[in-house]
Amino acid sequence: MAEVAYVNASRVFPGTPPVRAVDNLELSVADGEFLVLVGPSGSGKSTALRMLAGLEDVDEGAITIGGKDVTNTPPKGRDIAMVFQSYALYPHMTVAENMGFALKLRGVPKAQIREKVAEAARMLDLTKYLDRKPKALSGGQRQRVAMGRAIVREPSVFLMDEPLSNLDAKLRVETRANIAALQQRLGTTTIYVTHDQVEAMTMGHRVAVLKDGVLQQCASPRELYDRPANAFVASFIGSPAMNLKTVPLTAEGARLDGLVVPLSRAALDGAAAEGLSEVTFGVRPESLRLASADEDGMEMTVELVEELGADAYVYGSVRIGEHPERFIVRVDGRTPPAFGQQVKVTLRDADEVHLFHPETGLRLSA
Amino acid sequence: MRAFLARHWYAYAMVLPVVVVVGALVLLPLAQGLYFTFTNINEATIANPVLDRPASYEFVGLDNYVNVLTGGESYGAFWSTLGRTLIWTFGCVLAHYAIGLGLALLLNRRMRFRGLYRVLLILPWAVPPFISVFAWRYLFNSQFGIINQALGALGLPTPVWLGQSDLALFSVMVINTWLGVPFMMVTLLGGLQSIPRELYEAAEMDGASAWQRFRDITLPGLRSVSSTVVLLGVIWTFNLFHVIFLSTGQNPHTRILVTYSFERFFSGASRDYAVASTYGVLILSLLLVFVTIYRRAMRRQGEVW
Ligand SMILES: Nc1ncnc2c1ncn2[C@@H]1O[C@H](COP(=O)(O)OP(=O)(O)OP(=O)(O)O)[C@@H](O)[C@H]1O
Ligand SMILES: [Mg+2]
Repeated sequence: MAEVAYVNASRVFPGTPPVRAVDNLELSVADGEFLVLVGPSGSGKSTALRMLAGLEDVDEGAITIGGKDVTNTPPKGRDIAMVFQSYALYPHMTVAENMGFALKLRGVPKAQIREKVAEAARMLDLTKYLDRKPKALSGGQRQRVAMGRAIVREPSVFLMDEPLSNLDAKLRVETRANIAALQQRLGTTTIYVTHDQVEAMTMGHRVAVLKDGVLQQCASPRELYDRPANAFVASFIGSPAMNLKTVPLTAEGARLDGLVVPLSRAALDGAAAEGLSEVTFGVRPESLRLASADEDGMEMTVELVEELGADAYVYGSVRIGEHPERFIVRVDGRTPPAFGQQVKVTLRDADEVHLFHPETGLRLSA
Repeated sequence: MRAFLARHWYAYAMVLPVVVVVGALVLLPLAQGLYFTFTNINEATIANPVLDRPASYEFVGLDNYVNVLTGGESYGAFWSTLGRTLIWTFGCVLAHYAIGLGLALLLNRRMRFRGLYRVLLILPWAVPPFISVFAWRYLFNSQFGIINQALGALGLPTPVWLGQSDLALFSVMVINTWLGVPFMMVTLLGGLQSIPRELYEAAEMDGASAWQRFRDITLPGLRSVSSTVVLLGVIWTFNLFHVIFLSTGQNPHTRILVTYSFERFFSGASRDYAVASTYGVLILSLLLVFVTIYRRAMRRQGEVW
């Protein structure tokens, strides 16, 4: 059990120009916390994780585990277990040998190894497969063996790098829940890398969003969803993505086509202080609704309807200024509009808008 | 049957040339050689169209095998030659493998000029063997060779490396090691590169030291490559003729089964084709036995080969 902290840690890959794969990362993870690192491909998630594991150098800053500086400690001395994306099971060892390997290296007596492996296997429903080689297992079973190998060691920190990306959709949902439950039960500090924002939102106590090696925001899933710190987080978290458009400001609020969204005094003052005539305006698909004929609203031409059963997502274009802009609106799945139809769209609640600085992308509204 | 042939005739037509060539170059000589082992054919009894002399060799049953296998000096001292052949074979293959693996491990690290080192280390293999062998003969030359001059300068004894003593066998093994290491190195390097890097990382996280990673990841990961190259190496070295012949000629201290077979066939007072063939058949049988045992051992380890 241990807390983990990145203290201004950077990893710079040599090259021309050098790649700052992880850039001044400042992040601490509490003891027993489940932290999810999320970000688009190439954002430095794996690199950050591998720095913690000791598989990647820390070029600047430091890393501490349990308050101890481990920046220059080899992986062996860090008491960390890692689940690799490819699982990295030892192909010539049986499942039991794979799971017991670390204990064997540590010189734990055979009987005790067998007992611990059996216990982990029971927990992961692997008892039947203990004598098989990894080659003879399905993808989901291999994934569980990789988990088992980490659990058996009882490390102070678990690291997982996209452990579910090789599984099919159904198994992924199932395993997702199992991992979260297992972590709850073991209470081991866990850092979990994924590029799937659904995994991030459902599994983590807190979620850290990375982009180009820079930490964008680290907060609870709720907070991340309700108050994204910048336009990138706003667009990255949530599916389908938030509608984000740059629109002109007026004295009353933000002007969209046929609809002026009233903004709070604070937000307007904030924008005025920055001397902005435009803002990046964000609204989630579920914060929009179809308006009746006599209400104010944006005129939207329906281009695509995605029916998901209970809900439907309507993709359409709205003219803002000169250009048509794509908007996504969530509607009742039973009465969706048809392709090509003209509909009016309005906000469910004027509070559910997000405003960002059009250049820096930082959040304006409180 | 007709329909089958009608449908698949082209497949048979395709393999026919290979069957003919293999038959003419391998199976026929093999059958003939096998037949010779039961006769007393030699230079005096073989048919000689130039002298207009008909064949006069006779069927002698198992006499050749009895003569050879009783180990008589005049029949090449079979058992001691076999012993020397085994020392030669396993000594060379062991040296090839150990040195090849060591170099492959070195070359598998990230370092400057790696490409250059790889080319340099493959070079001995690219040089025609007889050139290498002659170069080594100069190095080993007891009076003018660099080795003895260096030893002499250090005040150490300067032995006759390729002379009439068991030291000659050692020297020839050194030469053959030089020639054989590049192949092992290249194949093992390929094998090393096919081991996923994550396995090493996982082992490192599991707390394995460098030696434990070598033992528990590298060696098992190389097993299928190793088993193949060791098998090939044994077969090749067992039958390796040119290195010995070019470095020491007909020196009884470096005599192995194939070189003796060659001696009997092409030189000596009377070219004894029957005894030479008997050696050939015995070599073939020994290798067959070896391969069978080897395959069984591999299969027990779950290798599909
Ligand atoms: N060994 C390396 N040498 C140079 N650059 C590297 C190296 N490893 C990673 N990078 C670069 O560092 C950046 C971050 O890579 P990283 O693997 O951490 O991304 P990631 O967030 O894990 O992406 P993904 O979701 O695709 O796995 C990338 O731009 C990548 O090109
Ligand atoms: Mg990655």
